[in-house]
Amino acid sequence: MIETNPASPLPTPPALPPGRAATPPLGTHPEEQVPIASLVAAIEALLRQPRRVMFQLRQANQTHLTALLLMIAIICALIYGFVAGTFSGGEQLWAAPIKIAAGLVLSALICLPSLYIFSCLSGSQARLGDVCGLVAGLLTLMTVLLIGFVPVAWVFSQSTESVPAMGSLHLVFWLIATYFGLRFLYDGFTQFKAESSDGLKVWIIIFLLVALQMTTALRPIVGKADTFLPVEKRFFVSHWADCLKQ
Amino acid sequence: MKAITGRQIALELEQIPALLRCETEWVVDWIERRETGRAGLYLVLIFIGSGLYGAAMGCWRAPLQAFYTALKFPLVIVLTTLGTTLLNGMLAPLLGLNISFRQSWLAVLMSFTIASVILGSFSPLAFFIVWNTPPLSATTEIPWLAYNFTQLAHVAIIAFAGVAANLRLLRLLRALGGSAAVARKILLAWLASNLFLGSQMSWILRPFIGSPGLPLEFLRPDAFQGNFFETVFNAARRLISF
Repeated sequence: MIETNPASPLPTPPALPPGRAATPPLGTHPEEQVPIASLVAAIEALLRQPRRVMFQLRQANQTHLTALLLMIAIICALIYGFVAGTFSGGEQLWAAPIKIAAGLVLSALICLPSLYIFSCLSGSQARLGDVCGLVAGLLTLMTVLLIGFVPVAWVFSQSTESVPAMGSLHLVFWLIATYFGLRFLYDGFTQFKAESSDGLKVWIIIFLLVALQMTTALRPIVGKADTFLPVEKRFFVSHWADCLKQ
Repeated sequence: MKAITGRQIALELEQIPALLRCETEWVVDWIERRETGRAGLYLVLIFIGSGLYGAAMGCWRAPLQAFYTALKFPLVIVLTTLGTTLLNGMLAPLLGLNISFRQSWLAVLMSFTIASVILGSFSPLAFFIVWNTPPLSATTEIPWLAYNFTQLAHVAIIAFAGVAANLRLLRLLRALGGSAAVARKILLAWLASNLFLGSQMSWILRPFIGSPGLPLEFLRPDAFQGNFFETVFNAARRLISF
């Protein structure tokens, strides 16, 4: 069995990236050691005690927590997708939630192997399970924040007919949510004693590009189309440029 | 120091001056207590304060418009506060201040209450401005000079109320345990979300002053068509193309 206790004896730890070295080791505070059992507790912890989530994700039985986080992410993505679908109504009420939830999970799955490789290359002690847990945390925090945008998105969905305007709005909400999600992931990785964070920064760019391309690959998420998935293959920049010209 | 318990204060109007001064000793205590009566009181104050100001705004066009605006102005505030509750509640801990959803909602509501009380206190002045302006109902075309002056006066008063309320909110955020930098970040994030949704709410609930060429109505027939930002964007684009 793999030893997961962060306090386990390790070789001399390499220096942490500048600016992050001051944070105490995970599990220092007793509240970080309290297990996360429920859905609400996981959301609360992600928002208020991210270090507790990071610590719990490093424990031996963390698969349960990763699964819980993934479940929350999917539920929240489906809710946000439904609200996004109210812009067009009809089939989009079920198509948009599926596309948003699937798009997020697919983006994460596509990028997960490279994150693990980058993590190893940077000298981090993270196991694949730890990486999966942190990515689940990233997705959950993103989608929970998107739920915070739901009332605003709904008001705009009901009062505009412009697909580019609504698409841009969802994109801005997604970018804000992703910023906080990636901040969680970054903070999580600094706990794995990586020698450098350059690999992670490259991965963040890759993840953003994949997720942005997913919005084009699964189009339309906002607006209507004859087919569930697009027939023509396009790069997201050219698709967005065409949308803005309309 | 006043020997009043938190429960008594919740139901007394005595707390308004303390709120306006943002006496953190009291206000932090009020935020931390779970009292529905206090939130109710704030909502009443918002409806009275901004309602009075709304009435002054709308009465230039017609008494019915005054009634409509007296309802719509507080509605914009309340709907915006409710619409951003979740988001603001999530942003506070993420930006470094660990307060609950209820506390963040109450803090925002408090700042809107302060703004509404200030607006209410300015409503006699707004009525006076309207009384001294040629009536909008007597013309078929907008008297632009008077219209622009009235608009600017409203903008100045509302801006003053907003700035005063937000300065107190900043002080409250600091007192709630956030450092100066954290309080500033949260205030900016909350301002962004409230302004973003608030602009659209006011767009949907327009008109507030009314126009002499258009019929009196609670909402425009195209209330849910287009949005505030699209209109601003298109106006800017037209301006550039000239």
